[in-house]
Amino acid sequence: MDLKQLMNLPGALAAFTYTDKGDLTDHVVREGSEITREVLDLLAHSCVANIAIATLEARGWEALTGQKGFEPLQGFSMIGLEWSVVLTGRCGVIMKNRDVNYEDAFNAIEACGAAQHMQGAA
Amino acid sequence: MHIVKQLMAIPGVIAAGEFAYRGDRFQYEGALTAEFARMASILCRSNTVNVNMQSEIFDSFAENCGYKPAQGWIMRGAQMSICNIGNYFAFIENRPELLNDVMTILRAKVGDIGDDLLVNLYARIGGDVKEALY
Repeated sequence: MDLKQLMNLPGALAAFTYTDKGDLTDHVVREGSEITREVLDLLAHSCVANIAIATLEARGWEALTGQKGFEPLQGFSMIGLEWSVVLTGRCGVIMKNRDVNYEDAFNAIEACGAAQHMQGAA
Repeated sequence: MHIVKQLMAIPGVIAAGEFAYRGDRFQYEGALTAEFARMASILCRSNTVNVNMQSEIFDSFAENCGYKPAQGWIMRGAQMSICNIGNYFAFIENRPELLNDVMTILRAKVGDIGDDLLVNLYARIGGDVKEALY
C-alpha cells in the first residue's frame, strides 16, 4: 500500500508519511486542494502526538477497567469541519467528510503503516 | 429519539453518552459502571479539547483550510473503538460497517460544532456561561 493507493480512497485530498518524530517524509496532494506542505508537516507532528496520547489512554483504560480490546491501537482520526484525517503510526490520509469511509480508511492506512514499518526496518 | 438511545439501539454499540465542561458531568447508557463512565467522559473531553487546540494551530498556518472548528475524533482499537462528535461519545465493537453507521448518525444528529467549544460544552449544564468562563 503506497500513497497513490491511499489517494484512491473516496474523497482523498492528501496522503502523507512521516517519521516517528513527526517529520514529513513523503506526501501527495490532490490538485486543486488547499492543503499545503506546511499544513501536512504540522499535521504529521500532531499525528505522532495523538497516537502517543491515544496509546496512553488505551493502555490506561485497559489497566484500570480490566476491559480489553483497545490494544494494539489501530489508529486515530481527527474530524474537522470539511475534512477528516485518518492516521496510524507512520502515515495518514485526509478525506472530505461527505465522501469519507472511515473503516476503509483505517484498513488502508494500517496496510500503509505496516509497509512503512517494514521499509524502516530494512 | 434521543441521540444516546438511538445509538444504543444499534447492535455492537457498547455504551454511549454525553459529557459537559470538565467531563465530570455526564449521562450515559450501556455496559459501563458509573465510575467508568465518568472516566470515559473525562477522556473524551480531554481529547476533544486537544483536537480543538490543534485545529486552532492549523488555522493559524492556513486560514480556512477546512479543519477548524474541530468536530470530533475516533480512537480505533484492535477490537473496539471510541467515537466522539461534539460532546457525544460512543464505545463500539469493531464490526463491519458499524463505525461508519455510528459516525453518520452522530454527524447528522449532533450537527456541526461551532467555534467556541468550551462555551458549547459549558452551556450544556446551564448557568451563566460568560461569567463562569471569563
